[in-house]
Amino acid sequence: MAVPKRRMSRSNTRSRRSQWKATPTTLTQTVEGGQVTYGRPHQARVVTDSVGTPLYLEYKGRKVKDL
Amino acid sequence: MPSPTKGPRLGGGPAHERLLLGNLASQLFEHRRITTTEAKAKRVRPLAERLVTFAKRGDLASRRRVLTVVRDKSVVHELFTEIAPAMAERQGGYTRIVKIGNRKGDNAPMAVIELVLEPLTAKQATVREAEAATKRAAKNRSQPVRTTLPSKKPAEDAPAAEEPADSAPAEPTDAAAEAPAEEAKESTKPAAKPRSRSTKAKPAKDEA
Repeated sequence: MAVPKRRMSRSNTRSRRSQWKATPTTLTQTVEGGQVTYGRPHQARVVTDSVGTPLYLEYKGRKVKDL
Repeated sequence: MPSPTKGPRLGGGPAHERLLLGNLASQLFEHRRITTTEAKAKRVRPLAERLVTFAKRGDLASRRRVLTVVRDKSVVHELFTEIAPAMAERQGGYTRIVKIGNRKGDNAPMAVIELVLEPLTAKQATVREAEAATKRAAKNRSQPVRTTLPSKKPAEDAPAAEEPADSAPAEPTDAAAEAPAEEAKESTKPAAKPRSRSTKAKPAKDEA
């Protein structure tokens, strides 16, 4: 197994880690019942009741899966 | 015929993948709707649709072909007697995959794959009827146009007598051609293809 010969400096480690970036989630805008909501594109959406309990998954007006 | 998948097989090897996809397909036919990972759903789709095509053919040879993949005889029976008649009107696209987000344990993207058992919508049926109508109209039209046009040119001074005879057969065909063209905007691309060809052919005939 290949093993590093020298310890990596704190500077190099931090330089590498500084390149980590979070990417924004792509969202699509949908209007339902006059309300604008955002969701991930091409993904089923969770439908909840008034309390917030998840009921089922829905995509393009079609019930996909019970929860 | 689906093209072979590139890259590594699902599971441990080719045999493992065959078994895995066969089991997924039989579960799909048994339950009509299964939840699996996106990768597996995408791989099982061409296999399952091919099996439905065999089932629609319905003879003994195709039943034996299906039995090499789906080992459960009762599932195959159900496929041939219940699923195939429901798919009789449908020309392909027997399954639907809907992505449902990532799994909790390993963050794997999951999907629901299901059989499309709903009957064709009225719109799709009318589109097909209209397509057939335009095809028939184009066929009927190509013959009278050649015969009427030469006679029309010398008789340009007195068009009143001929116009009703010429325009009467032409108008219904135009109306029939335009009505499906409007529907075509909403319908899928493959369905629109033959129609665009027919509309292209029409102006050429008018010029001639």
